[in-house]
Amino acid sequence: MPRVLLIEDDPSVREGVELGLRRRGHEVRAAATGEAGLAAMAEFRPDLLLLDLMLPGMNGVQVCRQVRERSQLPIIMLTARGDDFDVVIGLEAGADDYIVKPARTEVIEARIRAVLRRLDDGGAGRPAIEFYGELAIDRVGLTVTKAGRPLALAPSELKLLLHLAAAPEQVFSRQQLLEHVWEHSYHADARLVDACVARLRGKIEDEAGSPRYVQTLRGFGYRFGPL
Amino acid sequence: MRRARTRRRAAAVAAVAVAVPLLGGCGIQETDVIEAGGPASVDAFFNRDSEMLLFFRSPDGGLSPVIRTTGSSTVFGDGYAESGSAAQNPGDTDGPVPTEKVVVALLAGPRKEDRAAGLTTSLPAARPGGTVEVELLPGGRVTTRLPLALEGLDSTAVRQLTCTIAYSQDADGQVVVELTGQDGASTSGTCGLAPGTTGNVPGTATSGGAT
Amino acid sequence: MSTGPESGPVLGRARVRAFGLRTRLLLAFLLVAAVSAGTTAALTYREARNALLETAQDTAVTSFREQVQQIGVGLPVQGGEDLEELLRGIARRGKPHPWVVFAEYGSVRASSGENPVSTVITPELRRAARANPHGSFERVVKDGVPYLTIAMPTVFKTGPYSLLPSGLVLYAVMPMTDEQVNVDALLMAARDGALPGLAVALIPGLIAARSVLRPVRELRRAARNMGSGRLDTRIPVRGSDELADLARTFNESAGQLERTVRELREAEERARRFASDVSHELRTPLAGMLAVTEVLDEDADHLDADTARAVRLVSAETGKLAVLVEDLMEISRFDARAAELNTDEIDVAEAIRKTLSNRHWTDDDRVRTQLPDGIRARLDPRRFDIVIANLVGNALRHGGAPVTVRLRTEARSAGTPVLITEVMDSGPGIRTDSLPHIFDRFYKADAARIRSAGSGLGLAITLENVKLHGGTIRAGNLPGAGAVFTLEIPLRAEGAGG
Repeated sequence: MPRVLLIEDDPSVREGVELGLRRRGHEVRAAATGEAGLAAMAEFRPDLLLLDLMLPGMNGVQVCRQVRERSQLPIIMLTARGDDFDVVIGLEAGADDYIVKPARTEVIEARIRAVLRRLDDGGAGRPAIEFYGELAIDRVGLTVTKAGRPLALAPSELKLLLHLAAAPEQVFSRQQLLEHVWEHSYHADARLVDACVARLRGKIEDEAGSPRYVQTLRGFGYRFGPL
Repeated sequence: MRRARTRRRAAAVAAVAVAVPLLGGCGIQETDVIEAGGPASVDAFFNRDSEMLLFFRSPDGGLSPVIRTTGSSTVFGDGYAESGSAAQNPGDTDGPVPTEKVVVALLAGPRKEDRAAGLTTSLPAARPGGTVEVELLPGGRVTTRLPLALEGLDSTAVRQLTCTIAYSQDADGQVVVELTGQDGASTSGTCGLAPGTTGNVPGTATSGGAT
Repeated sequence: MSTGPESGPVLGRARVRAFGLRTRLLLAFLLVAAVSAGTTAALTYREARNALLETAQDTAVTSFREQVQQIGVGLPVQGGEDLEELLRGIARRGKPHPWVVFAEYGSVRASSGENPVSTVITPELRRAARANPHGSFERVVKDGVPYLTIAMPTVFKTGPYSLLPSGLVLYAVMPMTDEQVNVDALLMAARDGALPGLAVALIPGLIAARSVLRPVRELRRAARNMGSGRLDTRIPVRGSDELADLARTFNESAGQLERTVRELREAEERARRFASDVSHELRTPLAGMLAVTEVLDEDADHLDADTARAVRLVSAETGKLAVLVEDLMEISRFDARAAELNTDEIDVAEAIRKTLSNRHWTDDDRVRTQLPDGIRARLDPRRFDIVIANLVGNALRHGGAPVTVRLRTEARSAGTPVLITEVMDSGPGIRTDSLPHIFDRFYKADAARIRSAGSGLGLAITLENVKLHGGTIRAGNLPGAGAVFTLEIPLRAEGAGG
């Protein structure tokens, strides 16, 4: 069972989520502030971070940035609907997904599983390493290098790249990507896709303004290539 | 609706206001009879010393003076004789023509040239042998006995006599004339034909046989 | 949304505008100018004409008298050649124009012309000449030609100082054709003077109208500004005339209106913030509670019956409370105009199918669809999902299965085509008196049903979401039975790429 670090300032939410997840067999460490959470990370070594955006002192977005500087730990933000601006900033800061409070434990757990799930499609009958231009994608080792240099991709970024690269030049609508990469419903927030694409481009493209690898088809969605 | 009516009324008022002074005198209009100055004074070559002034009736009912010279003696041949009196002598060519003579000439009626101008007389035709007596009274009055009956004469006839006698007596004709007829009736009055006098109609005075 | 009542007043306003304030002011000014210019011209003309005529008349009368005074006549006057020659002599010397001279004496009639008796001289003039010995004249218009007729009675001297009417009256008849020409020229001059005067008056007229109308225009602009929501609009007050009073009154009213509206807005804002705050405050404890409802549900089986019922009730109601609070939050955002539209171009049929399948409504035959493929529209997928889910959920709860969802597009003459989605149920339909309130918040069409599964805000949120898309939604009843909700959203698929 994955180890979950929960950073949440409100005691009732913290306690309720911790209780619900632990009942489902997760090992949960809860922290009330961002600083406490960051301090607990080295020692607890979580598999996933559940991060409330509205925190006293150091806020969720800052915590998110600090974590991303060091690791590609999967991060799910806890947010309340209506705080739309914070969602966008959080996603840009590197969060992989978000959950709108209040949420049932089963919803939270489903999202945790989705983020942690490895992409299992397209594994068979493919070479271990695929080369696209300067990119080298290792589907087994789950590493991506560009011109020989390894790229640090967050889980959602990696999954998105793998999904797109599995069918080069095929157009995926954002709804399709939400369903397949994030396992969200068709009607979920497409900004999740846009934010992830923007982050991915920042890492793999030479110029993020004129992308080669992840291209936009206005009105339809995204595709990988053609190079 | 009401606004439309108000506007129409305003327009009518405006039209009238503009039209009245403009249309009030376009072009040359007719006028009434307007007096302009006095009459024209013409030369009639009247000489009081040798001519007499007789008044006849003009067709419009007014009196018209005619000038008659005394040169012709036919007047006397008509059988009239004046009872000589006063300052004038018959046949004397100096001084005004005697009133008796003038009255006789009047009674003789218009001559041919007078009649040609449409002049008539309202006096009855003279009977031969009648005499005319003129008597001057103090205060500018003159009494004349006429050889005819006053009764039955119309006003024009009386005016003919009055004016003829008045202008015979006085150049201005400003004399009160008393007429006495054979029937004893008498009347008095002034001529009043001169410009500037109020038309004092003769013959409005007393009548009846006071004498 | 019918444009019927609009068209009438628009036409009427155009007709009234033809006689607008500007036109009336201008007309009034022109009228005044016309009256004064016309009156001045007319009076000048009349004075000039009278002076002209009087000069001509006086000259004629005076010279006629002079001419007559030079003749000599014998009494009685004899008609004939001599007299006519005399008259011709006078006529030749006529001033300012030759005259025709007539003589009347007794029954003698003579003239310098062909006819011995004039047809122009009136009986009145004759009577006046005979009644009193004065010179007199009369202007006569005969056959359109004006004549001056002068009557001159003659007197002669009976003594050095005494005059006596001779009975001879001389008449002069003078056609005033030259004067007519002059008078006509005067008239032309007056008219030609007045018309440019009027034209010149037009300019100050326009300026005056403008100065009067400027406050009116400002008033109109200000009123329009007020109407478009700029309640701080004020008019500069100039002078102390009626228009200034009007401007002052307008400013006072605008100030009061602004105050009232501000108070109302503040009150509304307070109420809205309160609802929002309450929802916010409820949400945090709910988040904790909702996270543990599962624990309650799982362990309820091991508790004694009463405790288990209580625990399950708490769990269930917590879920409903969470939905209610979420809906309240959503409504608050709409009220605060904070709702954002995150549009994406989607396949509408697919979106509806996903909505239905996510809620397991297509598992059995409860919901039927008529969804043609290939209709793409720019919509907010999440909000569209809420709209469809609310409509279908409402139809299933209050109407009856089967529920039909039908999708089509329709070209509108106005421009953009519209996306039409119809949700029809097989229930008894909506009561007519409920129809106007069906989208009201917490409105319960079915009074017997104390509480439904929904929050009571579903249709209100649906309406707000549709309005956010620029669309409309109508509720109605089918001819047979069943309610129908018709959703119309303008299609902006291709053009507006985000």
